[in-house]
Amino acid sequence: MLGLDLGSRNVKIIEMHNFDITAQLSFDTIEFYRSYGKTGQGSLRIDLSELGFKRHQHMVATGYGKVSVQVEGAIHLPEIQAHVKGAVYQTGYQDFTLLDIGGQDTKIVKVRGGRAVDFLTNDRCAASSGRYLENMAAVLGISLQELSGYSLHPVELNSTCAIFGETEMIGKIVEGVPLAELAAGINYSLYRRFAGMLERLASDVIVVSGGVARNEAMINIIARESGRQVMQLPQAQFNGAIGACIYGYEKFKQE
Amino acid sequence: MIDLGKTMNTIGFTTSIPVEIILAAGKTPVDLNNIFITSDLAGQWVDKAEEAGYPRNSCGWIKGLYTACLQTEPEAVIAVMQGDCSNTQALMETMQLRGITIFPFAYPYDRSADMLKHEIEKLMRIFNVGWAEVEKVRQDLLPVRQLCQELDRLSWQENRLTSWENHYYLVSSSDFNGDPQKYTEELKNFFAGVKKRKPFKQKVRLAYIGVPPIFTDLYQFIESLDARVVYNEIQRQFSMPFDCQNLVDQYQQYTYPYGAYARLEDIKEQIRLRQVDGIIHYTQTFCFRQIEDIIFREKLDLPILTMEGDKPGQVDARSKMRIEAFINMLKY
Repeated sequence: MLGLDLGSRNVKIIEMHNFDITAQLSFDTIEFYRSYGKTGQGSLRIDLSELGFKRHQHMVATGYGKVSVQVEGAIHLPEIQAHVKGAVYQTGYQDFTLLDIGGQDTKIVKVRGGRAVDFLTNDRCAASSGRYLENMAAVLGISLQELSGYSLHPVELNSTCAIFGETEMIGKIVEGVPLAELAAGINYSLYRRFAGMLERLASDVIVVSGGVARNEAMINIIARESGRQVMQLPQAQFNGAIGACIYGYEKFKQE
Repeated sequence: MIDLGKTMNTIGFTTSIPVEIILAAGKTPVDLNNIFITSDLAGQWVDKAEEAGYPRNSCGWIKGLYTACLQTEPEAVIAVMQGDCSNTQALMETMQLRGITIFPFAYPYDRSADMLKHEIEKLMRIFNVGWAEVEKVRQDLLPVRQLCQELDRLSWQENRLTSWENHYYLVSSSDFNGDPQKYTEELKNFFAGVKKRKPFKQKVRLAYIGVPPIFTDLYQFIESLDARVVYNEIQRQFSMPFDCQNLVDQYQQYTYPYGAYARLEDIKEQIRLRQVDGIIHYTQTFCFRQIEDIIFREKLDLPILTMEGDKPGQVDARSKMRIEAFINMLKY
């Protein structure tokens, strides 16, 4: 079973045999489309046989909708469902709030009885996503890993716009604010961008997926500010692809 | 749709007003919103308004209305100063700057009949018509309003109209496309075909609340996902499907200008009646109604997807993803 998650920054692929992960791959999205995609009939068509996976296996694709990208031979699963399936499978929980902070968007899903009952996403602007952390870390000249070490004494960063945020931070650097406080400020400002949505769909347990789940500072901030139990998924970045595989097992078993 | 070349005698308006007064005066009512959104140049019209100095972070409809008005050159424009959108004030003032004659109209927030009557009579004096003439027009329009009501019923009760058809015919009732008689004929012709149709059988029934969408293909996209809109809240309000005694009564029952709570009552009743599975709340980017989303989410007991649109055109990839996830959530 192959599960593909076509994200805005990375394409993630999981191969499973009898529910065991046998391979996992991650590609830069642009490079992936360039190498394996062909345009045709108004959408990008992807042929995975070139990647060396065994032919004739079932394939489920998620991520950017089927209207935008067609994967040859794959069935399509909407993103929210894929992430919920992945999180239920990875945690064994049935009731929780899933917080997925991806490359360009943030999704918050209320899950009850293992199913999505409500969701919110950031709209129109990528300022509340991992991309914001990447940009700001680059401005500070530190890695994402280093950024994830700072959650205390955050400097106040107010801008709604991520680009103005850069300008604002440069101002703080000029004022001589220490790096630790700047880095914590960046993490806090991302938290504040999705905190309202998280509160509206809150559960006792918050499960965090997506690339930003690896940011320890963010996990600390969410736990501290929300006062709820926060859990990082073991395979946070591959959660969508895992969910796609699980859906595939359910679907093809029925047939 | 009125011919843009013949605009003498036309009276534009920024949102529904007592159109009976314009018709009683022998003039042609033109809802500037309809001119804007049905134009092939809608996107460029927004750009034109931005070039004129309208901020990028302001409502796409207001910008479209500005250019639509300059293109149409109506004899005068009735601008709704209370009960719609506070941006209308600046819209009115900038139209005035370009030499357009403006008459302000205000719906009283407290829904007071006296205040509303006063506003209506002010408008009647401007157009030099009396109560008898206006009431006659109101009576003349009752059959076409009933046709709209019947068409809406065929949508939700007999499942014979597409989401877009329900939207189109009801949204057009704000100005009857400038010609109530022609519009009535169009409706009657449409009816003849619809009655022969087999009922639609989509799995998910949706309510659409909020101002009409700025997207051009929203309803078609929804139907591609095996769902159908069986309730278009504001569009239905435009057709004024109320039992009423007189003009003041009619525009007092009309919910749109009187805030979220007036609308809520009507929405609750209709979603119960029409047995919808979920609600799409559409708001315009930068609109104050995005704040009112808090109220609808708290007071309505069905799943709600809040959507946002900025400029005219097709639904963007992210919104498509969200609609798809929402409809799937309702299916399973």
